[in-house]
Amino acid sequence: MSLVFYVNGVIQTLDARRGPELLIDYLHDELDLSGTKFGCGIGVCRACTVSARIPPDTAPVPVISCSTTLDMIDGAQITTIEGLRLPDRLRPIQEAFLRHFAFQCGYCTPGFVMAAQIFLDGLTDTGTLPADLDAAIEAAVGSHICRCSGYVRYYTAIRETAENIVFRGD
Amino acid sequence: MHVLDQDLLAYEPEMGRRSFLKAGCALVALTIISPPRLLAAETAGPATPVVPLVPGVARERIEGRTKVTGQKIYARDFHARHLGWGAAQCYAMYLPALTTRYAFLNLNLSQLPPDAQPVRVVLGNELGSSLPAAPKSLNAEQAEVTAANSSGSFRQPIEGSYDLIVRPGSAANYLGQPVALLVFDSLATYRAARRAMQFRDKNFQIYSPDESQPDDLATPAGTPWPELVHFVKYFDGAENFSFATVDPDAYQADLAKYRALVADSMSLNSDFISADVVVDTQAMDPMFMEPECGLAFYDKTNTRLSVLIGTQSPDHDVASIAAMYSKADSPLKVSEVVLHSVYPGGGFGGRDCSPFSMLLALTAAYSDGKPVQLMYDRFEQFRYGLKRPASQIRGTLVADNDMKLQAIRAQIDFNGGGTRNLSPYVAGLAALCVGGAYEIPAADIAAQSIHSREITGGSQRGFGGPEAFFAIETALDDIAIHQGWDPMALRRANLATRHTRTVVGGIINQDLRLAEVMDAAEAHPLWANRARIKADHLERGQVYGTGLALSMQAYGTAGDGMVAAVEIDPDGRINVRSNAVDMGNGSATTLGVVIGPILGANAQSVEMGSSKVFKATGLSARALPADWGNPHWTQGEVMSSSACLTGLHQVHTVQQTALALMHGSILPVARTIWGRTGIQLADIAWNGDMLVLRDGTRPAIGRGDLARAIYARGMPYGAVGHAYIQGSWVEADFDTPGGTIHLQLDGLSYQMPNTETPLFRPRRNTIPPPIAAQNAYRYAWAPCANVIGLTIDPTTGLVCIENVVSVLNAGRILVPELVSGQSQGGIAMAIGYTLLEDMPDGMAGAADGTWNLDRYRVPLGADVPLRAIYQPGQRGQELICLPETPGDAGAGRGIAEAVMCAVAPAISNALRDAVNKRFTSLPITPAKIMKGLAS
Repeated sequence: MSLVFYVNGVIQTLDARRGPELLIDYLHDELDLSGTKFGCGIGVCRACTVSARIPPDTAPVPVISCSTTLDMIDGAQITTIEGLRLPDRLRPIQEAFLRHFAFQCGYCTPGFVMAAQIFLDGLTDTGTLPADLDAAIEAAVGSHICRCSGYVRYYTAIRETAENIVFRGD
Repeated sequence: MHVLDQDLLAYEPEMGRRSFLKAGCALVALTIISPPRLLAAETAGPATPVVPLVPGVARERIEGRTKVTGQKIYARDFHARHLGWGAAQCYAMYLPALTTRYAFLNLNLSQLPPDAQPVRVVLGNELGSSLPAAPKSLNAEQAEVTAANSSGSFRQPIEGSYDLIVRPGSAANYLGQPVALLVFDSLATYRAARRAMQFRDKNFQIYSPDESQPDDLATPAGTPWPELVHFVKYFDGAENFSFATVDPDAYQADLAKYRALVADSMSLNSDFISADVVVDTQAMDPMFMEPECGLAFYDKTNTRLSVLIGTQSPDHDVASIAAMYSKADSPLKVSEVVLHSVYPGGGFGGRDCSPFSMLLALTAAYSDGKPVQLMYDRFEQFRYGLKRPASQIRGTLVADNDMKLQAIRAQIDFNGGGTRNLSPYVAGLAALCVGGAYEIPAADIAAQSIHSREITGGSQRGFGGPEAFFAIETALDDIAIHQGWDPMALRRANLATRHTRTVVGGIINQDLRLAEVMDAAEAHPLWANRARIKADHLERGQVYGTGLALSMQAYGTAGDGMVAAVEIDPDGRINVRSNAVDMGNGSATTLGVVIGPILGANAQSVEMGSSKVFKATGLSARALPADWGNPHWTQGEVMSSSACLTGLHQVHTVQQTALALMHGSILPVARTIWGRTGIQLADIAWNGDMLVLRDGTRPAIGRGDLARAIYARGMPYGAVGHAYIQGSWVEADFDTPGGTIHLQLDGLSYQMPNTETPLFRPRRNTIPPPIAAQNAYRYAWAPCANVIGLTIDPTTGLVCIENVVSVLNAGRILVPELVSGQSQGGIAMAIGYTLLEDMPDGMAGAADGTWNLDRYRVPLGADVPLRAIYQPGQRGQELICLPETPGDAGAGRGIAEAVMCAVAPAISNALRDAVNKRFTSLPITPAKIMKGLAS
């Protein structure tokens, strides 16, 4: 029996006996993808957030990699912060976080980027109205912990990006 | 290739500063290797900048691109192979003491499955002999003395003097003290052991059934760690007495007499109004996002011990490790300690003199010559990591009928925990801050950090300020309410100004502009309309209150030295180096742009934590004779690092050094090219990348052409400046290739092409710091007023911070986004400190191994007002910075802690306004509020 899943588009085939291993350990130890950060190890701080498309659902959802075992993502497509990389530019949310000086030490930033990207990708599908935007952002990243910046700039950057991309169609 | 491997190509060859530590007859070399040089934002990422760069303006945070792309490297990301230490590494795990009442006897690892067994188990009796230990030092210079004079033991390298690992048969001295070190030869085994042992510690440790109190060697539990602070101030006409103004011997001799006079002044006048100060604050975990992690490796061939740590105090760490391994009974012969200093994922003081460095270094002695990794998980971080120490403040604040404060008495006790760390110094600053932002003629303030069995208390953001300002600002409101006075008016009647004497007796030699701070706060709608806002909430069935608090946080120490290097490369690009350790790259970003107006361009790279810079100054605090007439002597080499030291201290140093480069190299080269020998700095200016002569009589010269001419003519390509401040900056004249220049530096060297040896420029006509500043204790201030509006649910006790308005005197605003970012971060952390974060003492708290973020509640987005402007009916936090004045002389202020200090009292005062109850025990939890409402 095997476990099969994808990380940043690359197929991973493993012996099913490795199912109890944690996704974050696999990313770090096997794939050298250290952009996903270990913070609390119990799924509270969300620094370890990655994106997953888990069949039969097709929409990406945030997954807490420190508390997710490999057998839970059998068949899934995982995207890490490294998988968001574009060849010639940053994504709008990354640019917005930069422009707004959203973070300080940056250890929580990959988790915020992943959650915000998932939120932005799904924003048009959810039919969120401008008046509901703050609540939607809170639902998307409200559980993420940042100890340095006080959240104001993260939320401002996400709000601005959502308004630009979704409501103004930039 | 993985990003780490790529980065280390640049990282590894960079050799750091070397110094030596005398250890008896031996000499141990200390080497600190700095973090990788940081490229400025425009050169360090995949995106092409679309906004033209403006000298002096930061478009984004340095290293920001690596952070948003997951490429930023922290200590946790390193493996031994990245350092060339080999493909295999071991893994270390400490087991913590579960009690201080019963003697630890042994481990029982029989319940560990075979695939979870360590290859090495180290108990305390294996570490060395039981010779008396030397006192612990908190900086490199002291460590040298320590090691040279020490006959101490490897197992007890720190003051206390407690075993690094508890010896079997002895009770642990404090919680967080290890009883065993386990070493595993594979990651799988290590993880298997962690899974098997987590939350089941008692199954693996054996304790005596009988109580057995631990030994106290130097400072018994319950007694204060040295040094205690006692500030008595009595100014009454001709009879003046204070710490700052009286000879130290006379001060001690007359202390009791003047304490009695202060007491008399507080009690004899029946017209005086007094408020009791009864404040309790909890221990707090810094909860930086990256739990501590590091690597250690002993190279037997070269007798070199290497460690890699994300630390706020590399000098302290490397010296402490060297001192430990220089003991006669050390299991390893160590001739050099190399510390790879890498960026930490947060710090807040929790990585300043952290015990982690010693525990990491210890693992190298028991890993059979292999590199070893020590990586805490969050449970372990709570168990072992430094805490903001809990405090208790008791005292009295006295005013007269004319609203004038007359005296303050306070006893400030911090719970310093099991080892002496920075908590005595935290207590000292709290003693100064408890006098607030006010003129108070009489004071009797004692502060101490008391040795206990708790997890060690260190420093944390605010350094005693949050506790102290909480005490005086709530007491002030109590007086105002008791008398029916306006709390704003009471504060206004007592504001400190330039020339005010603090409770230490030192004269404030800055324009504080507290009256303007109060003007802005009073005029703001959140304060001005507070009655109407309260009534509006009441109409909606909500309980609302408004609170005001003022702080005047001191930053820096009693006297501070710092160093910077500014260089121009052959293509005209500017590079900056600083000794300061940076955590969020805010300091690097600031230092990279503040030289822009001087050199016409922002830095293309900034190297922080650079351990080599000071050596290039040619200065030493140990040079003889030790006086300002000796150009090689300085009173202070380099200070420890904190974000609040950027705005004034580090910026000043790098700007003066940039000026030295401009005057000593660029100016004379331009004179030569233009054929005008009499040109001065005032005659030239930058226009983009071009240096122009203001009178327009010569063609502009590109910075690249200037740089090439500098190198071709053998002129200085870099300047290294050292500054020292104690009340005011040391100033001196320096002879440079461009002529003599007067700078606010006490040391200057030039870096010359084709030679490694810096060209030392002896200072002349030195103006030393004022004698009056020597005992002032602190000399730099960051005033801030907070107005906070909140709602409270009287049925649950839940508090919602609706709005925060902060009025700040930050001097020159160097990078606006960083100033407001520090304010926002400080507000969030303070909200957690005031309302949320709680941790009981003893084994009910973090020491029991079950504490994580599910129990230790830190602020989330919903807990803070998220809009950066005040709008009625919305939640927001607005920062108002006073406009710069000529009195600022272009200098910023260290504001990283300023806003935070006045949050807790403003919340308590708002609660008092809302429900007419006073809460002075932090955190103000819903349970405490409900209890208070019921009383």
